[in-house]
Amino acid sequence: MMSEVDSTTNEWGAYLSVNRKRCRLGESVTMTPVLFHTDGEGFKFNYVWINGGWSNGNWETTLAKTGSYTTDRSYTFTPPHPGTYDLCVDIFPPDGVQFTVQRRLVVYEDLLSDKIDRGILEKEDTPVISVKDVSMIFNIASERFSSLKEYFIALMRNELTFKEFKALNGITFDVRRGEAFGLVGTNGSGKSTMLKIIAGVLDASEGTCTVQGTIAPLIELGAGFDLELTARENIYLNGSLLGYRKEFIDERFDDIVAFAELENFLDMPLKNYSSGMVARIAFAIATITEPDILIVDETLSVGDFLFQRKCERRIQELIASNNVTVLLVSHSIDLVERICDRVCWIEKGEQRMLGPSADVCAAYKAMM
Amino acid sequence: MATVDQTPASAPTISARDAWYPSRMRDVFILRQLVAKDFKLKYRRSILGVAWSVLNPLLMMLVMAAVFSHFMRTNDPSIGNYPLYLILGNTAFSLMNDATNNGMRSIIDAASLLKKVKINRYVFPVQKVLFAVVNYAFSLIAIGLVMLFFRVPITPYALLLPVAIALLATFCIGLSLLLSAASVFFRDVIHLWSVVITAWTYATPLFYSISILPDWMVKLETFNPMFHYITFIRDVMLWQTLPSVTTVIGCVVFAVVSLAVGAFVFRTHERKFILYI
Repeated sequence: MMSEVDSTTNEWGAYLSVNRKRCRLGESVTMTPVLFHTDGEGFKFNYVWINGGWSNGNWETTLAKTGSYTTDRSYTFTPPHPGTYDLCVDIFPPDGVQFTVQRRLVVYEDLLSDKIDRGILEKEDTPVISVKDVSMIFNIASERFSSLKEYFIALMRNELTFKEFKALNGITFDVRRGEAFGLVGTNGSGKSTMLKIIAGVLDASEGTCTVQGTIAPLIELGAGFDLELTARENIYLNGSLLGYRKEFIDERFDDIVAFAELENFLDMPLKNYSSGMVARIAFAIATITEPDILIVDETLSVGDFLFQRKCERRIQELIASNNVTVLLVSHSIDLVERICDRVCWIEKGEQRMLGPSADVCAAYKAMM
Repeated sequence: MATVDQTPASAPTISARDAWYPSRMRDVFILRQLVAKDFKLKYRRSILGVAWSVLNPLLMMLVMAAVFSHFMRTNDPSIGNYPLYLILGNTAFSLMNDATNNGMRSIIDAASLLKKVKINRYVFPVQKVLFAVVNYAFSLIAIGLVMLFFRVPITPYALLLPVAIALLATFCIGLSLLLSAASVFFRDVIHLWSVVITAWTYATPLFYSISILPDWMVKLETFNPMFHYITFIRDVMLWQTLPSVTTVIGCVVFAVVSLAVGAFVFRTHERKFILYI
């Protein structure tokens, strides 16, 4: 921050210090103008924030507060809605030459915000996801043989021992129909591995994992896209890989395109798309259905700010719709606590705790 | 910002809860999509496009006929019409060559997909074989042109050609399953296979007649699957006759054994693929 100060002149100057560049909706922001080469005597400030008005196209300018250097050194406020804000401070020095400093702030809407109403779902006792004593063992890469010669040499020398890494060790839980189930744990604790086993991508080394019903795994989107093919062709290709019926894709094709906002680019090869556009189309295909089980990895975020909000809304719709079983993975313990009925806490591959959301979350927070 | 109307114009007939195929039928649609993808990519931005599938075997035949008619006794009664003899053997052999080469790499090439989506792994090798069959279907046009040019009649025996191709495709599926599984664990298999294919090309009577081989080599040909398939195809197309019982048995046995071994190796190892790709 201090690098902005030009120390070669003795004229007064100013910059704006803001305690965060981006925040989630509901968090407060403090802006503090910093003056240098002056004692600040007699300076007056106008604190202004301008919201880019994403939804209505209007720029909303709010003169929040006026003050002076001696009485109101900073101003704290909570952005009322998501979007990009310009935070400005007009500085009026005693000599009358006005000076404005500003910084930009991005306010994100919380994924799966508290607007979701899951309703009262009938929870049956039959588990839709049944994980029994699942362990996942990876062989450490250096011990892999990719050539026959190496393999046979090792075989002759009796050196075929593998260094093992247990990513998951004896995880057991059931998820019942209609339940919202959370997986928590620090980075690298094995949450993603568990998700991949449930999604059927990985096979567990030990134990069983049975899943009943259709899954929409919102974890790895756009798998199988071929960049040489057009968007139209990719929608069918990706749809088929996700197991969709052809007639279903035919029927919802326009919805997918409309959701991804790609009407004019349908017959362009995907390699000419921006990565955001590819992500949009992938998300649109993945969420056009109503699955029995919805797997949401909260770290999933695609496209620009506008599209992110649209994605969040779509996920909320899916969660709120009837009968869907939700499996949520998140770093945000508050979110898990709010949405989920039960939570499993995995730490370094070991199952730490399994139980009602409030209990597990309390224990998890206590550890942090 | 323009809001997007997400309600469809006409009420959908398939509910969003019912969007998926039952698991068996999924693979059929996936196979179709993947074959269509390969086909589109193969000919995208080429002026002659699909015509290459016809031209390629024709040009190949012209070159080989020009070179080898000097060495071969073209009046050898066991060869018949030499250009037709050549193109029938070459196209069938390149069906096997394409199918196994692409099938062998299919699992490694689909790595990014296999790590992300739940999908039956066998679709990849099978898809490559089907794609090779589709290409073979186009080269049938070339074969037809050659037959027309030399006034070789097409008889009802030609109806047995699909049987030969089905058996050959089954053989290739088994081989591709085996090779794709092996190459996941040992990449050398890929290099080794190109050598095997070269040797196999010369070991199979593609441009020469089996009658020039010594006795012991003729006996050895019994264990060459491609010899049986190509004999079957030549019998029905070139000689307009029923294939002998030995030939048919050879074709069936190799197809069944190859599929059984390939499927067994693939099934017992496919769960470990993801750790090696």
